[in-house]
Amino acid sequence: MLLFSCPNCGPRDETEFHYGGQAHVPYPKDADALTDKEWSEFLFYRDNTRGDFAERWVHSTGCRQWFNMLRDTVSYEIKAVYPMGGSRPDQPPATAAQTQQKGQQS
Amino acid sequence: MAQTAERENDVIRGLRRSPAGHLADAFSQGSVSGEQGVTLREVPFLTMIGVRAAPGSAVWDRLGAVMGGLPERYGQVTGSGAGDGPGTEQGVSVLWLGPQEFLVIAADGPNALGGGAAGASLLGGLLDALAGDPGQVVDLSANRTTFELAGPSARAVLEKSCALDLHPREFTVGTAVNTQIGLIPAVLWKVDEAAFRIFPRASFADFLGRWLLDGMREYAAVEVP
Amino acid sequence: MTTEHLPEHPEFLWRNPDPKKSYDAVIVGGGGHGLATAYFLAKNHGMTNIAVLEKGWLAGGNMARNTTIIRSNYLWDESAAIYEHSLKLWEILPEELDYDFLFSQRGVMNLAHTLGDVRESMRRVGANKLNGVDAEWLDPQQVKELCPILNISDNIRYPVMGATYQPRAGIAKHDHVAWAFARKCDEMGVDIIQNCEVTGFLKDGNKVVGVKTNRGTINTEKVGLCAAGHSSVLAEMAGFRLPIQSHPLQALVSELHEQVHPTVVMSNHVHVYVSQAHKGELVMGAGVDSYNGYGQRGSFHVIEEQMAAAVELFPIFARAHVLRTWGGIVDTTLDASPIVGLSPVENMYVNCGWGTGGFKGTPGAGLTFAHTIATGAPHALNKPFSLERFETGALIDEHGAAAVAH
Ligand SMILES: Cc1cc2nc3c(=O)[nH]c(=O)nc-3n(C[C@H](O)[C@H](O)[C@H](O)COP(=O)(O)OP(=O)(O)OC[C@H]3O[C@@H](n4cnc5c(N)ncnc54)[C@H](O)[C@@H]3O)c2cc1C
Ligand SMILES: [Zn+2]
Repeated sequence: MLLFSCPNCGPRDETEFHYGGQAHVPYPKDADALTDKEWSEFLFYRDNTRGDFAERWVHSTGCRQWFNMLRDTVSYEIKAVYPMGGSRPDQPPATAAQTQQKGQQS
Repeated sequence: MAQTAERENDVIRGLRRSPAGHLADAFSQGSVSGEQGVTLREVPFLTMIGVRAAPGSAVWDRLGAVMGGLPERYGQVTGSGAGDGPGTEQGVSVLWLGPQEFLVIAADGPNALGGGAAGASLLGGLLDALAGDPGQVVDLSANRTTFELAGPSARAVLEKSCALDLHPREFTVGTAVNTQIGLIPAVLWKVDEAAFRIFPRASFADFLGRWLLDGMREYAAVEVP
Repeated sequence: MTTEHLPEHPEFLWRNPDPKKSYDAVIVGGGGHGLATAYFLAKNHGMTNIAVLEKGWLAGGNMARNTTIIRSNYLWDESAAIYEHSLKLWEILPEELDYDFLFSQRGVMNLAHTLGDVRESMRRVGANKLNGVDAEWLDPQQVKELCPILNISDNIRYPVMGATYQPRAGIAKHDHVAWAFARKCDEMGVDIIQNCEVTGFLKDGNKVVGVKTNRGTINTEKVGLCAAGHSSVLAEMAGFRLPIQSHPLQALVSELHEQVHPTVVMSNHVHVYVSQAHKGELVMGAGVDSYNGYGQRGSFHVIEEQMAAAVELFPIFARAHVLRTWGGIVDTTLDASPIVGLSPVENMYVNCGWGTGGFKGTPGAGLTFAHTIATGAPHALNKPFSLERFETGALIDEHGAAAVAH
């Protein structure tokens, strides 16, 4: 059982949370303009990082708020908890924005 | 008009069945008195109003004014009923559920939900205060029921299946939080040194009631020295 | 063809060669799929100058961590075709590989607990019959006759309302399957190289020409990825992405018991499945842990919940003790179907996305993937399972048939 520190409620059992997958995946700016390939990337392709991974969680049976977490997918160690809309704490904001861009296009 | 509506409401009140009503006898039989005692009862039909408002907004201020302030942090309870001990539902309490989500709890009756006349009841007053601005005021009274678990062993019973740190140093009187007890999502409110109110959703009331009874059973047995 | 005892085998079933400078094809991953692919490359396509590279030890990944359920009662035509072909191969492989790996066709039951389940199950039985897959609908009494220890009374939260049953389905001994393939591969000249981790790829333009490993660089004409939970990591090394998320999947066994459980019982609704291994352990599993994970372990509440479900269905298990729990890394796709075919890199082929249910697909994956690698084009059976389906929208949604998967 993992122990998460909800930014609102403090440490709680993993069973109180739901997983939301990769963080920082923006909705395409102009979805109509995407090719099938780009649209499929948005729908079906997410990073599957082995190592530090930025992901979303929601505190379902607590404050019901979403937040971001940086977690090592091998050791499961939680490196950081940070608010929705915030940028990855292990990257300067500019790089984080580029990652989003790349995620969208590659 | 208002009188007819009120009479209809009385009729409806008489027809209500509380989610754990069928367990009332089991609760009283399972309750234990004495030094390691613990009692369980259902407090049926409390008025519950769901409120949503963004802190700092004008709506927040107006809604707060109706109830003596909205809670601003995790665990906080505000309102005139915040100090109510076990067995009393006099005032109006507002529980923090999230940064923008609150649960208003008041006694059952026309003063809370009213017979239709806006402003005359708690619900009407809150709706008036909302005035159609972004936010929410919804009657959720049928959503949850209320359990009261009290007595010297109440905390020990809860600790069997609630992972929170319930030590009085950490979990002080007047704290309410949304969490899990057993597998059941529930709001837990410590109303007194040895008394908790637990608010499970109606459909989980039977399970949670029996679950707590089971946890209480050992305190009825003679302590083995 | 069941034997009471496990077969005797010699101390070494395969050589432990050092990697050569170059091969005609290199398979990454020495699990069941990598080994089966190498086997069919050698047997069906005469490609014997090939190597299977395994970063750990043979079958140390999901291959020897799975719960060995083999069945083919999937809903859609495409799935029924490949899984049924696979099942037919299971039926002949013990003889073909000359290895009794205890393939036991004791049947698999998928319980229905709600009206929705019943409708879905009956629909699947109908679809299976149309596809030549043996399938039956059982009422609760028939369920009880087949599996007397199941609680079919209606005083439980989710009473058993019936079940689908595939008599030809069953279980096998997973590590022996891997050894059986490995021995035959080795006999045909395939190099099985353990402790050899692929760390990168050599490319000429968009064409793969070699692999970098912790034991040196190996040139090769073709690369087949069979890395299961690590598929995304390898794809990233090669410069492309896969629509895959890797999750922990756990299982557990009890201590040994008399044979009490004659078949395999799965329940999507209360979320557990149980069989009894030849030695006598009760083998149980359920769904994945929710989060992405490469840790080969998951959270305790997941196994706690599946045990609670098992005890509800099989009251007799209440006093059994857990002997061991473990986890693997499963490569899940959004339509719960695998990806077997070409990749965006020339001469590189992908076999992945089998997620929680790829053991049963081992021979089918091996056969079709070998065909794909050898000819450069998919076999009819794996054609629908291409990477392009996520773009064309021709998804093969098997969540219904594979919800507790396996
Ligand atoms: C607990 C559990 C229960 C399951 N139950 C069932 C079931 O009942 N029925 C069923 O059909 N399926 C089941 N599955 C799924 C099944 O085990 C997998 O789908 C299947 O084993 C995957 O194919 P594989 O055997 O080739 O994978 P693996 O055995 O995981 O092989 C992949 C190999 O690639 C190697 N590798 C990874 N990266 C590299 C690298 N860089 N270089 C070299 N080698 C590398 C790994 O070390 C690993 O050995 C279960 C899985 C788990 C975890
Ligand atoms: Zn929270």
